[in-house]
Amino acid sequence: MFSYEKKLQYPVNIKNPNPKLAQIIISQYGGPDGELGASLRYLSQRFAMPYPELKGLLTDVGTEELGHLEMIGAIVYQLTRNLSLEEIKKSGFDTYFVDHTTGVYPTAASGFPWSAASMQSKGDILADLHEDLAAEQKARVTYDNILRLVDDPDVRDPIKFLREREIVHYQRFGEGLRLATDRLDSKNFYAFNPSFDGKNYKPKIK
Amino acid sequence: MNERQKLMARLSAVQFAAWELHMYLDTHPCDTAAYETFRKHSAEAARLKNEYESKYGPLTITGTEDADWLCDPWPWDLERSCD
Repeated sequence: MFSYEKKLQYPVNIKNPNPKLAQIIISQYGGPDGELGASLRYLSQRFAMPYPELKGLLTDVGTEELGHLEMIGAIVYQLTRNLSLEEIKKSGFDTYFVDHTTGVYPTAASGFPWSAASMQSKGDILADLHEDLAAEQKARVTYDNILRLVDDPDVRDPIKFLREREIVHYQRFGEGLRLATDRLDSKNFYAFNPSFDGKNYKPKIK
Repeated sequence: MNERQKLMARLSAVQFAAWELHMYLDTHPCDTAAYETFRKHSAEAARLKNEYESKYGPLTITGTEDADWLCDPWPWDLERSCD
């Protein structure tokens, strides 16, 4: 089960609202490489993980991503406080506003709503871990792009924290992949699927 | 930064260190030195959380049940009310 702690993993204190930035950063809430997809990816994939280290790792990274989802929500919320209609029209935030007012909705910056098609749960340990490694890199690039577009230090600070977490998670997933392959036949990692065939399955020698 | 924010920052820093070590231990379960450091930070985080909750209200609902749980600020709020 999950229980809630009433605090952010890292503080978000944004003095100046800025709807344009909110419209960019919302992509890490509900975009293709965002935190919602990340948490659902890992928390779904973990059921097919045959090894205890990987059950633990996917549970922990998936849980942390929920904390990151909350941070991105807080950033968007604080960037869209006390907006005038003039600011909304001038900034281009009007296309989001018409559907969601200033509610936080899981969508990509392009307006495409969050889709489970942006993630996979393949039921194969090697396929899933390689997806996870790629996902962390894609999220890191998205944060790099956000940092290219954002000057406000109040916004950059938590975004830099989140970017760094992608790199740490990538490192942990790399170690997880190694722990998995260490248990497999180094001459043929793909001889069987330990998630489906069972971790002690012995493939027939041809 | 006021006193509440300072204590929250300290708690978050120590919690973060404990969390990072916990996740490292997922892939290095036999690293006893890391485990000791994790235990140290974990205990310090629990101590700081107790201190914060006794001064500023609950962070989790497992403690005393009272109306303080509902008090602002919620994590995304900038201002505190209910004081």
